[in-house]
Amino acid sequence: MKKLYALILLLFSTSAFAHDMVPTYPELRPSYLDGVLVTDLELFNKRNDVEYYEIAVFDEYWNPVPFVTSYKILKLSYLDRIKFSVYIRSKDKDRATYICTKSRIRGESGPSTIISSMICSKLKKDY
Amino acid sequence: MFKKLLISMLFLVPFSVQSADIPITGNVQSRCVITTDTPGVYGNPNAYTLTTASADGGVQPIVRYDVTLANAYYAQITTPTSFAQSPSLSDTVTWTGSTEVSSISDATNMGSYETNKTTFGQTTQYDLTATGSTWFKSSSTATYGGNKAFPGGTYTANVEAICVAK
Repeated sequence: MKKLYALILLLFSTSAFAHDMVPTYPELRPSYLDGVLVTDLELFNKRNDVEYYEIAVFDEYWNPVPFVTSYKILKLSYLDRIKFSVYIRSKDKDRATYICTKSRIRGESGPSTIISSMICSKLKKDY
Repeated sequence: MFKKLLISMLFLVPFSVQSADIPITGNVQSRCVITTDTPGVYGNPNAYTLTTASADGGVQPIVRYDVTLANAYYAQITTPTSFAQSPSLSDTVTWTGSTEVSSISDATNMGSYETNKTTFGQTTQYDLTATGSTWFKSSSTATYGGNKAFPGGTYTANVEAICVAK
């Protein structure tokens, strides 16, 4: 029964309009720069109404934490997948808690609600 | 002799191509996937109200969370408090909104989601304690100040669906 459910879940999760990011618990590791840590994440755009995703890093109280990526806003076509690295200063490693990607929505025509999605991974603290 | 050899080679070559293996690799990781199941639509039951209530011609937005790791995520859904797009508005808009569980894939383990939810302001938080899919339905109503008519134009408001790792 569990296998059947997992299969159904897998099939459902391939439908359109979804925002998917892994890993759930990324780990910081030393980068090639002194005093800078890095972690890697992967984003998959299954939302055909979204082309751009914004990256943000927060502390546990949702205050922004400085970070560096190649692009803070990623252009990602429908069904495209992208791996990206987030660089955080060593001195911010205890503060940095969440790495999030948020969909950037285009305006719609007609009176409607639009759904923006944000997925936040939580940094492992056992380094 | 040469012709026979050539024919036998022609038979062998296609078979060797067909036997090539094409590996498919995959990596399973725990994840939370947010799916926009139904984008909402505002109905306009009178000149000064926009609402997603179906009785008033609206459509409630529905968002689905698929979780493959139990007890690892919070779902936070925030109903609109402003228009993302609208004509120029000279008066204040009053917003009301709420979110509720619309459907669940596991009645045994997800049945308590609705009773255990916490609400702060326009945001409703659910503790996703079980693996599977949960559909959340939001309602939103905007009322223009002093019962004035909303100016003509396009109105869009944003429901924010967040999945946060615990």
